[in-house]
Amino acid sequence: MPAPAIQLIDVSYRYPRTKRYVISRLNLTVQKGELMAVMGENGAGKSTLCQLMNGIIPHSLGGKLKGKVLIDGIDTQESTIAELATHVGIVLDDPETQLFTTTVLSEVAFGPENLGVPAQEIRERIAWALDIVGLTGFEDRSPTALSGGQKQRLAIAAALAMKPSILVLDEATSQLDPLGVVEVLRVVRELNVKYGMSILMATDHGEEVAKIADRALVLHQGQLVTCGSPREIFSDTGLFKKFMIRAPQVSQLGARLAEAGKSLPVFPISLEEACGGISQSIKNGIDHLEEAAETSPAPTSSISQKTPVISVENLNFIYQPQKVHAVRGVSFSIQEGECVALIGQNGSGKTTILKNMLGLLIPSSGKVLVAGMDTHNIAVAEMAQHVGFVLQNPDQQLFAETVEQEIAFGPHNLGLSKDAIQERVEEAVEMVGLESVRKEFPPALSKGDRAKVVIASALALRPEILVLDEPTTGQDYKGCHQIMQIARTFHQSGRTVVFVTHHMALVAEYAQRAIVLCNGQILLDDRTERVFAQPELVRQAHVIPPQITELGQALPASLGLPRTCLTVAQMANAVLARMTVAG
Amino acid sequence: MSSMITFIPGMTLFHRLDPRSKIVFMVLISTAIFAVQNLYVTIAILAVMVALWFVAGLPAKVVLGFLRALLPIFIFLVIVQAIFYPGEHILVQPLIPDFVPWIGGMGRITLEGIGFSIILMLRLLSMIILLPLVSMTTPVHIFALGLVKLGLPYHLAYTTTSALNLVPILQNETNVIIDAQRLRAMKTFEKGKALDKARAYPALVTPLVIGAMRHAQSMAVAMDSRAFGANKKRTYIEDIEFKPLDWIFCICTLVFTIAVIAASILL
Repeated sequence: MPAPAIQLIDVSYRYPRTKRYVISRLNLTVQKGELMAVMGENGAGKSTLCQLMNGIIPHSLGGKLKGKVLIDGIDTQESTIAELATHVGIVLDDPETQLFTTTVLSEVAFGPENLGVPAQEIRERIAWALDIVGLTGFEDRSPTALSGGQKQRLAIAAALAMKPSILVLDEATSQLDPLGVVEVLRVVRELNVKYGMSILMATDHGEEVAKIADRALVLHQGQLVTCGSPREIFSDTGLFKKFMIRAPQVSQLGARLAEAGKSLPVFPISLEEACGGISQSIKNGIDHLEEAAETSPAPTSSISQKTPVISVENLNFIYQPQKVHAVRGVSFSIQEGECVALIGQNGSGKTTILKNMLGLLIPSSGKVLVAGMDTHNIAVAEMAQHVGFVLQNPDQQLFAETVEQEIAFGPHNLGLSKDAIQERVEEAVEMVGLESVRKEFPPALSKGDRAKVVIASALALRPEILVLDEPTTGQDYKGCHQIMQIARTFHQSGRTVVFVTHHMALVAEYAQRAIVLCNGQILLDDRTERVFAQPELVRQAHVIPPQITELGQALPASLGLPRTCLTVAQMANAVLARMTVAG
Repeated sequence: MSSMITFIPGMTLFHRLDPRSKIVFMVLISTAIFAVQNLYVTIAILAVMVALWFVAGLPAKVVLGFLRALLPIFIFLVIVQAIFYPGEHILVQPLIPDFVPWIGGMGRITLEGIGFSIILMLRLLSMIILLPLVSMTTPVHIFALGLVKLGLPYHLAYTTTSALNLVPILQNETNVIIDAQRLRAMKTFEKGKALDKARAYPALVTPLVIGAMRHAQSMAVAMDSRAFGANKKRTYIEDIEFKPLDWIFCICTLVFTIAVIAASILL
């Protein structure tokens, strides 16, 4: 019998100069040709597990490794990174740091060149690898000029060129827009099914796992919680609650129905199963069904009567000197108290619009008015008192010795008195829930807490508007919702929230209105449920509605369920209501 | 800023040369620039450099950008040289009388001092033009290959050249951080006094350093994963070839270097 692709025997590991074992007593076997998903919260040990596979741990990073890691039967501790590279290819989360050469061609060539493969064979391998990931013809492009999905596919090609039999993906889709995720997963699945590659995929995304994984394991604080088929994992609602595993939305729905005592015939993990199950359960009980009234709420009149706090008038922005026309004649206005999401693919102009709103960029033509002031004439520091801005990467601004000092930085810049600063710090700490870490060094906090510090820093300036630029990138399920809850609390106090994100489930749950951007222009600007009711149109902007919305659209109209459902709770209530009628 | 040293594609003479020719060119011309002390010969070298700049089809904006950034240093150097360079033709009398021990005679400005500082400035200018002539016409990995073929170990060649890649990344990062802090009502980077700017430094440098360390760490993982530094004989898909054109270019460079040094000695 051939050796399994991956075998871990009682493996524990701690990083150098630390005491805590980030992986502890882990046993695991991945058979050849199997696709295994690794799930768990941030800090559960997913990345560490991935880096154990190709010998980066312990050969490159050091630390203390106990137990045995066997790759194709080879003990990684007795092998070298170079030899392991021909068995295991790895793709990391951040496209920026794993692509480091100047052309697509040299990027793919880098690995085999290091291995001393003859030039002619490398050229053949490049052609083969680029063909698999669908990047043939891109050889002379610069990696920096590719889209997020293309970059990750290039990283896969670069790994494939070393002819590994195992591919490891460490959150490889976490920074991509929805269509980018689909592109990458299609390649991964093809490698698994068509080429029989064994795949270990760390991800936080239940819908991906349900679609392509053979098995999934759940890690918590470096320990194996459970390992089983996606259906076993996702139907265990205890796991979801305890370890914040992001189950597919249809599974969350299934769990809610089960809790209400109305289990579907098969616990759903895919859209098709949920669709079939719900149709069957409802139809079974009813012979005739009157068409239910459309449940989507009428637009509230209160919004249009308020004054706009942000008004963008025919905004054009051209980046010099490259003359990139990033925003083309965009106009919209946001009323006080709205919560608006800006969505669309990378490079569609979302961040450029935000920067124009903040006065960091000056419009090439057109006007941006924020809180009644023309951003052209107002200093950024002044603007900061009206608009709180939360950057995508918290590490780009944290510097103080303690969380309190970090939050005090903004109020201090305003020249406030000591008491006033203290009052604002207290208020902000409480608002985001950082009481327990107030004296800690911000860069050393967990990713979720670092994001909270940045939000608190913005809130300490007491802005009327909160702007968040991809605040949830790289955050786990818990982190995402904690961040969005802070934004919701801010919004519920009557103030305005504008955010940019690729997480459509968050848009559906938190935004009342979505502005869809495509190539620097507005494709659609409407209430969120109406935006997601047009899946064909928004797909142009690389937007795919959340699974629960897709479910609403996929279900037969005769069931009388809402066509545009935004949240799992909404759908669960509607289904339960119909079941009661039917039953 | 980011475009100052990064490769610009093209088909000019400089783009077609073997990286080894360009390394020879860089070494010889910088030797010449350092060796030559004569004003006229210095001007001649600068003129040739400017001409080559146009031959390589590079944008004039880049040099102007460099000049703007370096102007304060130039002015400082010229003043220092003018004050400290010994000379006989005194234009401005010393600020401190000669009889004061140690610092006596300082503050005197001489004709020789001014002449020397002008030459120094012209030499610096030539150097500033020389570097991008090579870096902007050679892809980084080809330049690294040139170094390897000249006998440098691969990992050293790669590290040297990738440091060039790091500059635009750090510049970009700096801009993002400054924007982030401005949005926290920080005004210092726009219009602060020097002392305030110094106090504001941690707000810029701490995230920059931590960010650079994180970046370096994850990049090291990515590179190691692709067998960087494996103990095998590395191959290269792209080969470089020392063509007749390179011989002609190197010989011309050598002749030019000898000529200007000789001229500087004889004149």
